[in-house]
Amino acid sequence: MERRPVPLAPTAFGHRGHALFPYFFLAPCLLLLLALTVYPLFYLARLSLYRMTPEGEAFAGLANFARLVTDGFFWRALGQTLVFTFSALTLEFLLGLALALLLHSQIRGRSLWRALFLLPMILPPVVAGVIWRLIYNPNLGVLNAALQGLGFDTSRLTWLADPSVALAAVVVVDVWEWTPFVFLILLAGLQAIPEEPYEAARIDGSGPWQTFRHITLPLLAPAILVALLLRTFDLLRLFDQVFILTQGGPGFATETISLYIYKTAFRFYDFGYAAALSFVLLGATLALSHFYIRLLQRPERTA
Amino acid sequence: MEALTQRRGGWLVAALVVALLLAALLAPGCGRDEAAARSVLLAVNAGVEAEGLKQAARDYERQFGVRVEIVEYPYPSLFEKLLIAFSGTTTTYDLVMLDDPWFPRFAQMNGLRDLAPLYQTKKLDGPDADFLPPSLALCRHPYATGRLLALPYVGNSQLFFYRKDLFEKHGLDPPHTWDDVLTAGLRIGAAEKMHGYVMRGAQGNPIVADFMPLLWAFGGELLDADGRPRVDSPEAVAALELMLRLGKIAPPGYVNFNADEVGAHLAQGTAVMGINWPAWIPTFEDPVRSKVAGRIGYAVMPSQKNAGASAIGNWLLAIPRGSDKASLAFDFLLWVTSPEAMRLSAVRGNPPTRSSLFEDAELRQRFPAYPVQQQALLGSRPRPRSPVWNEIENTFGTYLSQANAGVYPPREALARAQRDIVAILERWNAAQSR
Repeated sequence: MERRPVPLAPTAFGHRGHALFPYFFLAPCLLLLLALTVYPLFYLARLSLYRMTPEGEAFAGLANFARLVTDGFFWRALGQTLVFTFSALTLEFLLGLALALLLHSQIRGRSLWRALFLLPMILPPVVAGVIWRLIYNPNLGVLNAALQGLGFDTSRLTWLADPSVALAAVVVVDVWEWTPFVFLILLAGLQAIPEEPYEAARIDGSGPWQTFRHITLPLLAPAILVALLLRTFDLLRLFDQVFILTQGGPGFATETISLYIYKTAFRFYDFGYAAALSFVLLGATLALSHFYIRLLQRPERTA
Repeated sequence: MEALTQRRGGWLVAALVVALLLAALLAPGCGRDEAAARSVLLAVNAGVEAEGLKQAARDYERQFGVRVEIVEYPYPSLFEKLLIAFSGTTTTYDLVMLDDPWFPRFAQMNGLRDLAPLYQTKKLDGPDADFLPPSLALCRHPYATGRLLALPYVGNSQLFFYRKDLFEKHGLDPPHTWDDVLTAGLRIGAAEKMHGYVMRGAQGNPIVADFMPLLWAFGGELLDADGRPRVDSPEAVAALELMLRLGKIAPPGYVNFNADEVGAHLAQGTAVMGINWPAWIPTFEDPVRSKVAGRIGYAVMPSQKNAGASAIGNWLLAIPRGSDKASLAFDFLLWVTSPEAMRLSAVRGNPPTRSSLFEDAELRQRFPAYPVQQQALLGSRPRPRSPVWNEIENTFGTYLSQANAGVYPPREALARAQRDIVAILERWNAAQSR
C-alpha cells in the first residue's frame, strides 16, 4: 500500500518551488505571529527597563524591578490573585467534574440540562458582572431579598462592600460563569472514552469508585489538563469581572494583578513599571502551567 | 494532469489572497481628503456633559459649513485615549473634552496647544471677562498664572443636597457646619426611618471627591503650599473621623457607592443629605424620576473650622498640539464657548462657566439653584494640581475606603496614605531631575 509521490512539475518557483510553496501560505500566519506575539514580547522586555520622563523614555536599568520588590500593593495584588486563582479553580474543577459525570449518565432531560448549564458561559463577562452587581446590591439585590424572606437579618450583609467577603463574592461569580466551560471540556473528554475498558472492569468485578479511580480519571487526564490549564491562564489575568464588580475595592480587597497593571499603565501613565509587573505575571503563569503539566503527567507515567 | 490542476488552484488562491490584502489596505482613504479638510474631529465624554455639544456641532455645520465629527468614550476610556493621543507627535483628534483633574498631566506632557497665538490671529487679547475666574484658572498651566491651554465648558462644582421639607418639619435650620450635618442626620434619620447621610465611598476618585470638602472645612490640606503631602495632619484625622461617623448613618454598602447610588438614594427619598454634582438637579426635580421633586434644598458646602468649599469639577475643551487643523478647531472652540452656544448646553442641565448665563433670567427660572451653584463655583477649590494626581488620588482613595470599611483606624489609614503619597512624589521628582 505504498503511495507514490506525485511527480514534480516545474513551477514559477523553479524546480525547488514546491518546497517553498507551502511557506507562501504560511507566511501571513508567521508574520502575524511575529507581529502580534514575538515583537510585543521583546518590546515589553525593553519597556520594562525604561521609565517615562517629560522628555520621553529614559533608560532605568532594573529600577522598575527593584521598586517591585518593595511595592506592598503589588505583593498584595499578587497574593490576592493567587488566592483567587486557587479557590476558583478548585471549585470550578470539582463542580465541573461532578456536572460532567452527572450529565454523562443517562438522566432524564439530559440535553435540556446541558443547555441550561452552559448559559452563564454564553453571557459576555461584562454582562455577567453587571447582573451579579445587582444581585449583590445590599438594598435592592435579589440575594438579600431572598435571605430576608428566609428570616435572616441582612442589614450588615453588604457583600462586595465588605472587605472580608468581597473576594469570595467575586470568586462565586467566576465559578458561576466558568464552571460550564470546565464541564463542557470534561464532558467531551468523558464521551471520548471508549466503552471497552468499562466492560473489562465490570467483568473483573470492579466497583464504581475503583472504575472511576483507575479507568475514568486516567483516561480523562488529558481533558482535565486542558481545562485546568486554560482556566489557570484566565484566572491569573482576571480583569473584567473585578473591573465591573468592585474596581478592586473596597480599599484594595479585590485588586488583582491585572487590574493593578492596567491602572499603572493607563491611569498613572507608568508604562515601564507596568511592563515590569507584566513580566512577573508572565513568569508566574509559566511556572504554574509547568507545575500543572507535570502534576497531570505523573499518573500516566507510573500507571 | 493532477499536478497541473493542483498548481493552478494553488496560484488562484494565492492571487486571491494578495488581491484581498491589497484591497483591504487601499480601501480606506479613497476620495475622502476633500471632505476631511473641512471637518474637525472632537473626542468627548459619553454622558450628559456632551449633549449640548452635539447639538452645537450640528448648528455649527449648518451655519459655517464645517463638519464637527464627534466620537464619544466612557469616562475612563476617554482618559486613556487622550493619554495615548498626547504621547505621540501626531493625533487624530482636533479638539478634546477633558475633566479638569486630568489637565495638569496633559499640560505637563506638552500635549495641549497654547491658545494665546490663536487668539492673536483673531486680533483678540484672550478670553473675555465673562468666564468665571475659578473655571478659567483651571485652564492655565501652571494653575491660574501660566499659559492658557484650554477653555472651560461645563461649570460643575459640588453642591450640598438636603431634604428641606424634613428640616422644616423637625424645626432645624439648613446645615451650616459638618457637626450640624451629623446632628441633623442622626435626628431626622431616626425619626423618619431613613439614612441620615449618603456619600460616595468607592475607592479612588469617588471617595476622594467626597472627602475633600470635609478635609478643607476641617482646615486640612492634601498637599501644602510647597506641594508636600499633609494627609496625616490632626485636621485630616478629625475630618476622617467625622466621615466615619457619617458612614454609620449612611446606607449599608456605601463604601462601594459612586455618584449614581448617591443620586438614587436622594431621588428615592431614602437619604436625608448628600454631596453630588449639579447635573443631578434635573433628575431630583423630575416627578417621574424622583419621589422628592420640589422637596430638596440646595446649599454650598458646610463649614467647620474653615468656610466650606466645594471641589470644582469642570469639563474643559482643548486643542491637541498634534492636530494640523488648529485654526479650524479654534474657530469652533471660540464659537461653542460663546454665551449663545453655551446656552445650548446649559438648557440640557450642564452648568455654564459664564457669569452672564448664571445670571440669565430665563435660565434662572428654569434652574432655580443657579444662584447657589454660582456661589459654590466662585467659592470652589480645585483638587491638587499635580501631574501625578491620578496616582495620588488612587492611593489616597484606597486608604480612605479602607478606613471606611473598617480595615484601618483613621490615624493609621492616613499615616499609610502619607507614606505612599510621599513615595509617589519622590519617584516623580526623581524622574523629573534625570
